[in-house]
Amino acid sequence: MTTVLTPPTESGSHKEPPPLKPPPRRIGRWVLFGAMIVVAVIMLYPFFVMGVTSLKSESQFLSGGGFSWLSWSSLTSVIPVGQEVLSSTIVCSSSIFIILCVGLPAGFAFSKLRFRLSTVVFLVIVSAMMVPLQAILMPEFVNVTKLGLTGGYTGAILVYAALGTPFSVFLFTTYFRGVPDELIEAGIVDGLGYFGALWRLVLPIAVPAIATVTVLQFIQIWDDLLVGLLFIQNTSDRPITVGLAVLAAGRTTSIPELMAGSIISALPAMLVYLGFQRYLVKGLTMGIDR
Amino acid sequence: MAEITFDGVTKIFGDNIPAVDQLSLHVAEGEFMVLVGPSGCGKTTALRMLAGLEDITAGSLSIGGTVVNNVLPKDRDVAMVFQNYALYPHMTVAQNMGFALKIRGQSKGEVARKVGEAAAILRLTEYLDRRPKALSGGQRQRVAMGRAIVRSPQAFLMDEPLSNLDAQLRVEMRLEIARIQRLLGVATVYVTHDQIEAMTMGDRVAVMRGGRLQQCDTPQDLYDHPKNDFVAGFMGSPPMNLLRVGLETTDAGVALALGSQRLAIPASYATSHHLPRVDGPGVVFGVRPEDVEVRDGSSADSLTTRVERREALGAEILVHLSLVDVGGDNAIVVNDSGAVVARPTKLVAKMGPRSGVSVGDHLDVRLNPDHFHFFDADSGLSLRRGV
Repeated sequence: MTTVLTPPTESGSHKEPPPLKPPPRRIGRWVLFGAMIVVAVIMLYPFFVMGVTSLKSESQFLSGGGFSWLSWSSLTSVIPVGQEVLSSTIVCSSSIFIILCVGLPAGFAFSKLRFRLSTVVFLVIVSAMMVPLQAILMPEFVNVTKLGLTGGYTGAILVYAALGTPFSVFLFTTYFRGVPDELIEAGIVDGLGYFGALWRLVLPIAVPAIATVTVLQFIQIWDDLLVGLLFIQNTSDRPITVGLAVLAAGRTTSIPELMAGSIISALPAMLVYLGFQRYLVKGLTMGIDR
Repeated sequence: MAEITFDGVTKIFGDNIPAVDQLSLHVAEGEFMVLVGPSGCGKTTALRMLAGLEDITAGSLSIGGTVVNNVLPKDRDVAMVFQNYALYPHMTVAQNMGFALKIRGQSKGEVARKVGEAAAILRLTEYLDRRPKALSGGQRQRVAMGRAIVRSPQAFLMDEPLSNLDAQLRVEMRLEIARIQRLLGVATVYVTHDQIEAMTMGDRVAVMRGGRLQQCDTPQDLYDHPKNDFVAGFMGSPPMNLLRVGLETTDAGVALALGSQRLAIPASYATSHHLPRVDGPGVVFGVRPEDVEVRDGSSADSLTTRVERREALGAEILVHLSLVDVGGDNAIVVNDSGAVVARPTKLVAKMGPRSGVSVGDHLDVRLNPDHFHFFDADSGLSLRRGV
């Protein structure tokens, strides 16, 4: 018989090593990751449904099984998708062009030039952001109708530009306030005027702000139905959102075709967002770290 | 190259308080003029008016004999170096330096040649293709200098260009800027709040306070003959000791009353200065820290002091002294309620690194009688005759 002698410990008893616990930071990261997956599923599920549904014929959709390109091939015969996407593109890009052309110099002026009542004028312009579209839609419609601009793109472009400009003025002003005055002054001493400084010095460093305004306005205008429905009355000029609304409001609506159209409608906004995402984050957080 | 003249130039902002008040100053061709003063003294505003970045409320400002009050900045032919360099972040070093030339329509070859020359002077040749964010503070500062010198302007304007650099780099760039300015011989107006920069770089130094020019002189004249107690206290590190004292008659002649101690004033000061009458309002007496010398044993021309604090700076020691009143080590006078009603008169002395003084020591110090300064107790103006 053997006796195993264990060396005495200071406390007279064995000390168990502490159980391995994952550090709290790692747990927090997993919780966050899980939450993000849940959110991502919630956000992506509609797109999944749209995709799957669009790949069925009407009968397959009703029966629940099968795969077909029929809804995609028949979509162009139901609504002029190409023309509507083109219309949306024209309206969107023209509105954004006006918004940038007005917002950029206005933001520069409000942030860098000293003139009487500049703060009051700025506040009045920015306060327009608080007015909801629905509240001014009818007066806008009356005005645009009186000008005879409700047929083609012009009326809608002007309305979108008017609605988007206050936000762009606000964003550009905030951005340019973070640009040192000395940069502009150096350009002026070097031989530039204010327009020269805006064009040659400020514009190149305002890319994040320009991208932010462009993306946010693009998504807003591209996805809007109400203004397009009211202000673009020529059926040949109607944007994609109006086209889909017409499709949905038909006597017999093909859900797979509607889903295919919805994908076409949603895709450009998603691509623009993904393409400019890097600038968007930078643009929206500007001013925070200054 | 041109001369610059401020003639009664005034700038008033919205609050009706003049930021610059009747500034008259002449900068000769090729001269390095330093504007120095505490924050808010109007030196930067004066420079910005010269650059055309601020309107002039009154007076006239001329460059090369032409009044430029209403001339646009781009037409003044001056180059400016800013405190934060203001380099164009989206351009390379070469593009930054050549930008002003490009705007003026110079050919690409001419721009490249001038940029190359300036880069060689500033030792920037290998950095010409870099963007500002890839440069160190000192390199950025040199690019800002380069942007100014490629233009061969009539005048250089520099607004605290070294204040963002660390101490060692500041010393290097101080020498560099002075070297380049002498090399190019262009009239330069340099703004700083650092009196060491002012003393070491300027051909002349203009001291400003509250928008007004206090004195404009060579650095040594400013140091030796300040026109008022502000200049005396501002120029020099540590600043001049300024004590408000009374005058008394003693057996040895007129003396300064420093607490209970008396310090004889050499008779020559009665002729070289407008000293006020004895028992009058008194004067502000000034003596530089380097003119306070320790001596062995007390005498008629020495003061008994106590060491309150010592600051070892390596090459020298600054010793803070308080005058010892007869009958006590500490001259702080406290009333019945415990409030301090009088403090000991303080002096700062500059001593050698190996002077073995300790806090609490009693020292007999002699104030160099050849370098006394006297200022009017009310106006602060120097009492020296002929000022």
